[in-house]
Parts: sequence; C-alpha cells; structure tokens
Amino acid sequence: MNETGTADNRHMPDPEIWVDQYGDYLFRFALSRLRDRSAAEDLVQETFLAALHARENFKGRSSVTTWLTGILQHKIIDHLRKGSREQPVEDVEPFTPTLDDLFDEKGKWKIGPSKWNVSPMELYEQKEFWRILALCLLELSDRLAQIFALRELEELNTKEICKVFDISATNCWVMLYRARMLLRRCLEINWFSVKTYEGK
Amino acid sequence: MSHWMHNCKEITRMVSESLDRKLPLHQRMGIRIHLFMCKFCSRYRKQLLILREAMRLQERYLEDTKPSLTLSPEARERINRSFIASLNKSQ
Repeated sequence: MNETGTADNRHMPDPEIWVDQYGDYLFRFALSRLRDRSAAEDLVQETFLAALHARENFKGRSSVTTWLTGILQHKIIDHLRKGSREQPVEDVEPFTPTLDDLFDEKGKWKIGPSKWNVSPMELYEQKEFWRILALCLLELSDRLAQIFALRELEELNTKEICKVFDISATNCWVMLYRARMLLRRCLEINWFSVKTYEGK
Repeated sequence: MSHWMHNCKEITRMVSESLDRKLPLHQRMGIRIHLFMCKFCSRYRKQLLILREAMRLQERYLEDTKPSLTLSPEARERINRSFIASLNKSQ
C-alpha cells in the first residue's frame, strides 16, 4: 500500500502538477503533526519550493511522495523547534483532575481499565473507532499532541524530542505518559465501553 | 525488596516510560512482578500497545478512506501561484 493511493511513480511528474497531485497529502501530513492549519499550509508551500530547487537530488530510489514527505518532515521539526523557543514548553503542568481521579490515595485504580478485546488490525474495519480516536486526539493540548505525534508517528526517540522542545527527558516522559493516559481513558469511555466489539 | 513494590499509579507511569526508553533492570522486574499480580495494570499495558499500533494505522486509514480533509481552495491557489512564480524564475 502506498501513501497516496495513486500509482506512485519513481520518476518525477512535471512540477506543474505537483501541487495538485501531492498538496493534499502533504497538508494532511503536516496538519496531523502541527494541528495548525495555516502553519501546515505554509510548510507545504515551503516544501514545494525546496523540492523544486533540489529536484536534481531526486534519484528515484524512493517514491516522489516519500521524497517530498522527507523534506516536509524536516520543516515540521524546524517549525516546532522555533515555536518552542518563542513559547517555551511549560514545566510539567499539574495533572488534569480527570487523571488524578483515576487513582485513590494509595495509588490503586479507582476505575480499573477494561479489557480491550480487539487487535488494531480488527479495528481497521471499524469506521467509528477512527472517528473517536480523532476526537480524543483533539482533546489533548496542542503541545501535548505535537510531542505525542513526534514520538508515535515520526518515531523520534525522547532525546530527539527533548532537543526539539528544549525540555528535560523527565518532562518528556511525563508528557507522553499524560497523553497516553488521556487517550486510553477517552477511548475507553467513548468506544470500548459503548460498543462491545461485534466483529468476532 | 520493598523498593520493588510499586503501586498502580507508579506502575502506569513506568509502563509508559518503558515504551520510550529501556528501563533499568530493577524497574523492569518491578513492573513484571506487579503485572503478574495486577489485572488492571496488565490491561493498561495492553491498551497502550493497542494505542501505539492504532496511531500508526491511523494515517494509513485516513489515506485509504478517500480523505475529505484537503487544502482550502485559497491555500491551494496561493501555493500554486508562489510555486509557478518560482518555477518560471528557475527556468
């Protein structure tokens, strides 16, 4: 399966049609990592310009989509780095009440996690699940979502993430922990407790 | 031995951290012992693994399902204009 669903060419199409052919894909890619429409548009624009000037470097070893995405990835990380310099990541914010409510004073679960009887591949067929996952992601703060995306989508390690946001490793682990706790809770409430999985 | 005994709140944090780095041996042992005894934390760990997998599948899903999320016409126009201008200059 390739990223665009088009027969992905290893020779480059004429630049005239780049924007039409790859623009939407790159836009979605940037948006899911930045959560900022206008920044995503700007980076897509910059990506095309950079690609235009570097097009001799395209060797056809990867698809055009992969090549363009690689350029965009650098721009995204750059953008996040600059953004965190202008607006430093706050020190570990206190847990939101919903998370603190999960454990009693001895640190035991108040409401234990339920059993998720499903594999991700099975989830693939469940349209509603992906809608809910998207909604749950929107409940994260932008910064939290950005850090989480760098970790889970870009698969950067925490050292690299620390550098981008200029935060300590501990802070980074705590932020990722918080993102996961919020997401699993949100999915459990809105998906797993509502729907008993029927696809067995 | 007592420092191997963690409560669920601590374990959830350690399990999450174990997805981001290799924990020291005593912590890995602590997690293992706890998970052996604790149904909820075992489920929690499985949930995090499903979540991780789901995040990676999500992009593929979005592309497969003929996404409706696209550049706005104005943005496309703007990007096209700057691109064509740059293209003409370079030729």
